[in-house]
Formats: sequence, C-alpha cells, structure tokens
Amino acid sequence: MLGAIFRDALKNLSSNMLRSGLTMLGVIIGVASVIAMMAIVEGGQVWLVNSIEQLGTNLLFVWKKRLTIEEKRLFAGRNLQLRYDDALAIRNRFPDLKVAPNIDIDGQIKAGERDFSGRITGTSPEYSDIRNFHTASGRFLQTTDIQTWNRSVVLGKTIAEVLFGTQSPIGKEVKIFRSARKIKKSDATNGEKKEQQAVGEYRFTVIGVMEPKGEISGQDRDEMIFIPVTTALRFFSGNDKIGSMVIHVPDRDQMEEVTQKLQQFLIQRHDGVDDIHIRNQGEFLGAIDQTISTFRFVLGGIAIVALLVGGIGIMNIMLVTVTERTREIGLRKAIGAKRQDILLQFLIESTTISVIGGCFGVILGIFAAYGFGNLVAQSMPGGGDWGAVIKPTAIAIAFVFAVGVGVVFGLFPAIKASKLDPAEALRYQ
Amino acid sequence: MLITLSHINKIFTTGEVAVHALDDLNIVIEQGEFVAIIGQSGSGKTTLLDILGCLSHPTSGDYWLHGAHINKLPDSELTTIRNRQIGFIFQTFHLLPRKSAMENVQLPLMYAGATRTQQQDRARELLTRVGLQDRLNHHSNQLSGGQQQRVAIARALANQPALLLADEPTGNLDSQSGNEILTIFDELHDQGQTIVMITHDPLIAQRAKRRITLLDGRVLADESTGSPTHPVLQEI
Repeated sequence: MLGAIFRDALKNLSSNMLRSGLTMLGVIIGVASVIAMMAIVEGGQVWLVNSIEQLGTNLLFVWKKRLTIEEKRLFAGRNLQLRYDDALAIRNRFPDLKVAPNIDIDGQIKAGERDFSGRITGTSPEYSDIRNFHTASGRFLQTTDIQTWNRSVVLGKTIAEVLFGTQSPIGKEVKIFRSARKIKKSDATNGEKKEQQAVGEYRFTVIGVMEPKGEISGQDRDEMIFIPVTTALRFFSGNDKIGSMVIHVPDRDQMEEVTQKLQQFLIQRHDGVDDIHIRNQGEFLGAIDQTISTFRFVLGGIAIVALLVGGIGIMNIMLVTVTERTREIGLRKAIGAKRQDILLQFLIESTTISVIGGCFGVILGIFAAYGFGNLVAQSMPGGGDWGAVIKPTAIAIAFVFAVGVGVVFGLFPAIKASKLDPAEALRYQ
Repeated sequence: MLITLSHINKIFTTGEVAVHALDDLNIVIEQGEFVAIIGQSGSGKTTLLDILGCLSHPTSGDYWLHGAHINKLPDSELTTIRNRQIGFIFQTFHLLPRKSAMENVQLPLMYAGATRTQQQDRARELLTRVGLQDRLNHHSNQLSGGQQQRVAIARALANQPALLLADEPTGNLDSQSGNEILTIFDELHDQGQTIVMITHDPLIAQRAKRRITLLDGRVLADESTGSPTHPVLQEI
C-alpha cells in the first residue's frame, strides 16, 4: 500500500507542476543556502588554518610584556627586556628547541639608483626551518654570519625584483640604512651612535633570494629582508634588545610543558619578574576555531531560517490541497481508508516535496558554494586559496533537516485531513 | 436479517436550534432485498444513508448490520465495516479524477490489503461485468456519465459487500443511462445482492421491490412496490 500511496503522491504533485515547483523552491533555496554557507565557512577555516600553518608548526611566540609605569618604577634596576642573551641561554638550556630571535628595523635598502623602504629583520639561521620559508637561490643566513656580524643580506622575491630586475642579485652589493625617524631618536638618546648614524649606511652583500610565499596573515613575505641578528644589533640598534623570539618545539604534545619551563626559565633570568608573554600557536588556532564557530552558527542559523520559511510554504500549500481535496478524502474514508491511511498519504506528499526539493537544493548548494567560494577568492587580497569546502555532514544535515521540515510542516495539514468527518467531506462544496 | 434499525434518532444542533432529522425510526431489511427509500428533500433520506453507511452515528437507538452492533463500534472498526460490508454509489459518482477506471476500482481493494495483482484481477473482472472492458485505462474525464457510474458500481462491488448503498444513482444521468444503471441493479438483485437505493423519484423507486417512504424523519409508509396506496404518496 505504501508504494501505491507514494505513486499517488507523485501523481498528485506532477498534476500541479507549477504549484509543486514553487513550493519546492522554498526548500531548494533553504537547503542550498545551508550547504553554501557551511561550505564557505569551512573553506574559510581551512584557508585560515593553512595560512597559520604555513608560518610553521609547533611554534611558541615569545615577546616582552608592556609594563605599567608603576611596574617599571617597582622593577627599576632589574634585568628586564628580552635580550639576545635570552635566546642564547634558551639554546644552551634546551638544546632540543630551535630558537630564532627576531628584531625588526624600519630601514631602506638601495642598489644603485633603485631603493626600497621596508622592514629589515635581524634573525638567525634557524628562522628558515622554523617558519618553513626557504631560499630559492643562494643561501640563507648561516652560523658564521652570526658569529662574525657578517654584513650579508637575504632578499624577499619582490625586493630582489625591485632592486635588480631580472638579474641575479647573488653576490651583488646593496646599501642598508635606518629610516630617518630612528636616527633622530638614536641621536637624542645615544651620543655614541651619532657617528655611525651620520655615516648611516652600511654595505651588505646579497647571499640569497627567498622563495615566493605571498601574503600570509596580512604580511607580504616576499617583501622581507633578512640580515644576521648580531649584525642588526651591532649596526642598527646599538644594544642587545630583541623584539621577539620564535621557538620550535619538536613534539606537539610537549608544547604546554615547554611553555611553562620557558616561562620559569625566563622569569629566573629576569630577576624574578614575569615580563614576557609566551603564546602557543595552538592558541591562535583555537581563537580562529572559536571565531569560525560563531560564523558557522550565525550563517547556518540564517540558512536554517530560510529552510523553515520553505517549510511554512509546504504547510500553506498542503492546507490548500487538503481543502481542495476534501471530497476525495471523504470518498476515500467512505470506501475504507483509515485515519492513518489519509494521514500517511498527505504526509508522504509533503515529504516528497521536501525530499525532491532537498535533492535539487543539494545540487544547487554545491554550485552556489563553489560560485561564492570563487567570488570570495577573487575579492579578497591573498584569498586565492580560499575554496568552498563541502563536507558530507553539511549535505546530510541540510538534507535531513529539509526532510524533517517536510514531515513537521506537513503533519498539521495531514492531521487535519485525517480528522475530516467522512459524511461532511463527501458533500463538501 | 441484514439490517435492523431500532428507535433511531438523529438530532442536529446548530446554535440553539435542534433539528430532529430522524425521529424514532424502525426499519428491518432482509438479506437480498432491493429497497428504495423515498422522500422529499428534508425528509431525512441523506441522514438515514449516513447512518446505514456507517458514516455517522445516530444520536440514540440501535443499528445492527450483519450481526454487528454498529453504534457501539469505534470509528476505526466502522472504517473496516464500510470497506468490507458496504458498497457506496453516489449521485455524483465520486471517481478520483487523476485515476483510471481500473485504479478507481482498485482503491477499496488496496485499503482492504489486497496485493496489486489481486487488485488488478478483481478490478478487471468487475469492470468487464459492468460492460467497461474496453475502458479499463480511461480516466473519468474520458468517460460518459453512465460509464462513470458503472465504474462506481464496480468499485462498490470490489470487496463483495453485504449491502450496496446507492444515493440517487441516476440523478445525474439521462434517462437511457439511468435505465442502464437500474438494469445492472436488477441483475445484481437477481444474483442475491442486497441493495438500498435512496431517491426522490417515485418512478426510479418503482424499480425496487420494496419502498420505504420517509417524511420529516419518520417512516410514512413501508410497502411492496406497485401503485402507491398511501394518500400522501399519491400526492407526491
């Protein structure tokens, strides 16, 4: 009998194609939006996580806390600040860890008539491995460069092109000097530097060019300039303060433990003052997860509202159908249809609308997801790798929800139909 | 006894007005009878049909059909009784428009739980019996009024009901088609089928073997067919 009821349902729906189609449209749009929204959010998550992981994995970021005036007064005279010594001490104390100290200097680089203003990064050879960022030609910084304050420089791809065009820059000479603002500040605070700053510029030899990496998390990796950290400290900052450190932990499971040990170690070195932050890369990923979850709920919620509106459309049309077919219901009851037969008949009809609508919705949703994904990729700087990620669970959720909507919103009209009095229904005009 | 109606009352209440549609009705119909129930509009014919057809309960009184005490049964069992024991024939045929003659006849069989093959075999047999062997797959809009009513008769006979209940079966037909339908009724009656036919037309009622006349919800006369003897009937 179920087969016959199902055939009846299809026949009834196909006999009124336009109406059935319009009713289905509500479900189609609802399902498609759920799938497309989920796919875009998932795509965004994958893109963000990839971006973070391209920076390297299992990383700890160490930097100095900003102290309040009271704290500065309180801790006056103690050994505060993050220093190059700290990096060396960590290396000695924890030989398993790779440590890349980091100091950023706003400067200018010049090759002949061509120049470029940007950020010059003083770091150590470990940087390349830790951040998963390697040279395309020549070599990266080496230990000897650090030990001998070598004036060698590794250029980002864009810088190399700006300064040297198509020529290979390896072995060529460039001049690097600090931006004017910094010179003035140094002048005012440190008389010793005056001579150096007056000379201002230092000759460096290009030893390598980095591979193209593009923009990651808002920073264009192809515009980076690397010099040995010791060289940066000696020639440009004149002290041993570094901006930050990136530390690679070999075992992901030990991240927490290592963080604690490092914290204690550094507090000890800083005369008992807790003046540094150590952040785990996982914490960034966690924060991203949280943001993405919020997006998922908000966008998914909106899409599900669309699906509910589709459900109301189903209910509306089923109520009209029940009224239109009152005499048929009366006849069916008169010749032996039980209440549950009538209930099932109308429920199967509404569910058929939602199942067929759901199927079309899935197809449309997949197209829409890729369409939107491409649109996002084109309109966002650095979003080129952003693609819609359609998870089978998203399709399943949307489809099951659509079918559920058909059942739930079809239930009231079906119950109404099944409760009709056969004698009255037969004579309904 | 196939049907026993004992002190049947049916009162409809609309607002504060109570209408006594059937008033202490007592009727007994034997197996194999062909009975016409006749009366003017408002006489209670339709209400009686609803009660006989187990479509509604009387307000009071007792109704036995084939030994079952109908007014004591729940709705679900009434549905089964309508399916197995009663065949309905309506003035407006009540065929489902999107279905073929075959499918219309199969409906009561489907609700009775017959397999598809059983349904089709039985439907074909019944449609042949009413002379529609060439119209099996025609939809109702492709059939004449008389043909549609014949499909309805085939549908009514599907589960070999004890009682065939016809409500103005010729009311929407021309006299020739109406006559054909009544001829089928005669044949069925000859084969032992119990038929209760409700009509307002004395000429049609004439075809039955017994005539029960209703007036204001009461039995005015219950007699064998022939010339009406009751003075009121003569007026009608």
